[in-house]
Amino acid sequence: MKDLSIVVEGQPTSEAAGWQLTWVERRRGIVRLTEGSRSQLALVEGSGSDWFVTLRGRRIPVTVQSWRERVLAEARLAAAERGGPVEVRSTLPGLVVAVNVAEGAEVGEGEPLLTIEAMKMQNEVRAPRAGRVAQVAVSPGQTVATGVLLVRLD
Amino acid sequence: MRKDSGQPAAPIRRVLVANRGEIAVRIIRACHEMGLQSVAIYSDSDVSAPHVAAADDAVRIGPAAASDSYLNMKAILQAAHDAGADAIHPGYGFLSENAGFTRAVGDAGLTWIGPPAATQEALGNKLAARQAASSAGVPVVPGLLVALAEDQVPDMTDIGYPAMLKAAAGGGGRGMRLVNGPADLQAATTAARREAISAFGDGTLYLERLVAPARHVEVQLLGDRHGELACLGERDCSVQRRHQKLVEETPSPAVSPSIRQALFDSARRVAGTVDFYSAATVEFLLDPDGNHYFLEMNTRLQVEHGVTELVTGIDIVAWQIRIAAGESLERAVLEPEPSGHAIDVRVYAEDPYEGFRPVPGAVTTWRAPDGPGVRVDHALVEGMPLSADYDPLLAKLMVHAANRPAAIGRLRRALDETLIGGVQTDLGFHRWLVEQPDFASGNYHTGLVAEAWADGPALGPEAASLAAFAAAEGRRASVEQRTPASGLPAGGDSEWSRTARREALRQ
Repeated sequence: MKDLSIVVEGQPTSEAAGWQLTWVERRRGIVRLTEGSRSQLALVEGSGSDWFVTLRGRRIPVTVQSWRERVLAEARLAAAERGGPVEVRSTLPGLVVAVNVAEGAEVGEGEPLLTIEAMKMQNEVRAPRAGRVAQVAVSPGQTVATGVLLVRLD
Repeated sequence: MRKDSGQPAAPIRRVLVANRGEIAVRIIRACHEMGLQSVAIYSDSDVSAPHVAAADDAVRIGPAAASDSYLNMKAILQAAHDAGADAIHPGYGFLSENAGFTRAVGDAGLTWIGPPAATQEALGNKLAARQAASSAGVPVVPGLLVALAEDQVPDMTDIGYPAMLKAAAGGGGRGMRLVNGPADLQAATTAARREAISAFGDGTLYLERLVAPARHVEVQLLGDRHGELACLGERDCSVQRRHQKLVEETPSPAVSPSIRQALFDSARRVAGTVDFYSAATVEFLLDPDGNHYFLEMNTRLQVEHGVTELVTGIDIVAWQIRIAAGESLERAVLEPEPSGHAIDVRVYAEDPYEGFRPVPGAVTTWRAPDGPGVRVDHALVEGMPLSADYDPLLAKLMVHAANRPAAIGRLRRALDETLIGGVQTDLGFHRWLVEQPDFASGNYHTGLVAEAWADGPALGPEAASLAAFAAAEGRRASVEQRTPASGLPAGGDSEWSRTARREALRQ
């Protein structure tokens, strides 16, 4: 869980330095935040990437994403916004074990495009939106790093 | 001097509380302290509400919609009959100022714990109350004393602009319009009349000069059925949004002993125009020169009665019950000796960063403040959904201290102890307010929220990065909890297992 990507009110935000968080009551999300002589109670609620932090009565929505979640979310957003070509890139390093589509094929949203094995886990890479496969940039047996172009959809 | 116009007093043993939420709980507590039994009523959405759990008995009165339940006179009277109640306390809102219900309660042989119907009728209409107050020598805001006729172009030379259009049947700021000049008059009249007809079924309007800046100050009255009347002090309710109160304090920082005497004198005069007993509040505007103007008299218990109780030690709800049963006011009530300073903040499920818009949802976490000088009237339980059918008031947080600066310090401390999860509340506004120099100095007026708060300050970079840190820690902790370290029982908390878990998470 290194490299969390955090967005507060639409702005990428880095974690406050020098503060400490102590759980007062974990089940209810009650924490004490301290920095030097400053201290305040706060409420931390949420799961996955959607969180709310209540500071001095203000309930602040915070998006906390791993790098992988952020890339996926951006791809989804880009696909939805543009409707134009979409580049599907790897979100984790691994071995391409299967490619399910060929160039020119029509795919629906969420349809499996290929499978990457990482950490002995098979990860299906799915189409972020419906479209025609314009390019398949990898082949089975190929090792990919993160961020590598896998498939381009029109 | 006054004759008893209500029902003859009868002993009270079992009180039906015709309300819900924090005020129902507060009244039930008063009953129990007096050795009386309590009966709650509830709608289908309130089956597991705290006021139902607090009462000795509870009766279902209908579906969630207020018109089918807490405003359903027939069902409430039937519930009182079925549960063997001998008296009804209406709380505030709902049927508390409905003279027709007050009469029906009396006709059913039950004791009404509140002012008599004739008083409610005489003062329920704001224009009639304004006329009565003016005749009794009480200053009213300069303006019309008669209704504004359809298509009437009033003579504004003595009133002047800006002016306020108000609905005679009004309340809660509805049917009110600001008129900045002659050009606005007709459009404002049409809009105010339409709003008044839809809200109250009565489009009667009148016109007053706008008093601004002004403070909103009210006097708490208790009267018995034998002609004795007590002024328990004033409350300053100038912190408002949409003409509705957010914060109340007593004594008012703007009221000197001579202003207080003038306010008390006017309040007594207004009450003297009717056969009054029980609890009521006379509301005034106070201008920067210390002049006061009668606004209206509320013939019921007020939401903010608690601050007066804190400084006087007088239980207003208990006295309403004792008065209804025919008891005479005691000397301690007639000559109250208020001590210290009390402040009440209303905690609403409203988003102060978006125009105090009511927010839907459920309160997931509720951590109430505690300790010396803190009183919290609420009916909150964690997980209870907020119903759009009812008022969004969640709690009243009150503090009492030796003086105003100490009370503000105590309020800040109490706010810092309070946590509400699941929904945005107005706590962020209150926490901001206690640090405002104008609030600390007591130099504020009814325009404070609109002028100084608007939609609140932007989220600062430090708060944003602190929220980012806390949320990231929340996420790291949740992953840690869900992921058992390989081969180890989850929750094995040796340093080794924690390290192993951290390592696993990094991969």
